[in-house]
Amino acid sequence: MAAAPRTHDITDAQLIARCLVADDRHAFAELVKRHQSSVRACLRKLTAGNHALADDLAQDTFVLAWRNLKSFRQEARFSTWLYRIATNCWLAQARKRHEELLGDRDAEISSDDDGDAALPHSSGGDHAPAATMKIDLERALARLSDAERAAIVQCYHNDLSHEEAAYVLGWPVGTVKTHILRGKQKLRTALAAWAPPATT
Amino acid sequence: MVTSPNPVPPPSADWLDALLAGDAADHRAGYVTDEGFTARVMQRLPVLDALPAWRRPIVAGLWLVAAVLVATMLPGTAHEIARDMFTLFAARPFSLSTLGFAIFAVGLATWTAAALALRKE
Repeated sequence: MAAAPRTHDITDAQLIARCLVADDRHAFAELVKRHQSSVRACLRKLTAGNHALADDLAQDTFVLAWRNLKSFRQEARFSTWLYRIATNCWLAQARKRHEELLGDRDAEISSDDDGDAALPHSSGGDHAPAATMKIDLERALARLSDAERAAIVQCYHNDLSHEEAAYVLGWPVGTVKTHILRGKQKLRTALAAWAPPATT
Repeated sequence: MVTSPNPVPPPSADWLDALLAGDAADHRAGYVTDEGFTARVMQRLPVLDALPAWRRPIVAGLWLVAAVLVATMLPGTAHEIARDMFTLFAARPFSLSTLGFAIFAVGLATWTAAALALRKE
């Protein structure tokens, strides 16, 4: 008798088929186990390090994925589809947050000037320069607009192409490129202290 | 999906690109341990229906059979209702557009009711 296939031998597509045909929750649990790390890490980046919020949004993401599994057409990888749901959850939450934070805080978030301002160079303290630079990068990313941060996280941290990022974000490819360009300009300004000296 | 080459350039291309690429590499290398996350998600999944998915067509079919049986068993009543309705409507002057709208409305109501009855959830 042939041995039953181990769960890691089964592809995402096969697990999805099991969920759809037989309402197999164990198959879905395996999908969650496979993709929870990347989805939660992505949301942690998008929420600028708010782990509790990221995990709440990740749970919403997988519940929505279960409910809408029938609409997954395999036109993208399952992980890319999950990023799309996760990003939509985060954007909806961000919109809600912006509506709640009317006034000074809202102005602070949406102001272009804030993202352009140079960050004060983190004091080195006991940290190595690489660690300090990483902290400054995290802070600079957190000061970008939601759209700029989303575009950069999808293309750099999630390693998606511009076309895949456009699918995830629901924007035209040109808009994705524009937000990346603007975001990088702001990062360049904010992290100017880390730029290598110009050579002539 | 059409994919283009990875937009992340080699680290030597630009100091900011190198910085982002390094941060992205750290991001991808890190693993977020489950720590009960999967279990919490599974607890939040909506419960399955008590009845199987094919129940709605069966229920709809049974209602249809019941309606036909009632109409057959009470031929006089059905005939009288049909005749009275015809008389009622035939006595009124209908324009073509009114008639068209009535047919459209009845059709829409029928399809909406069918879609509601046969939907999964």
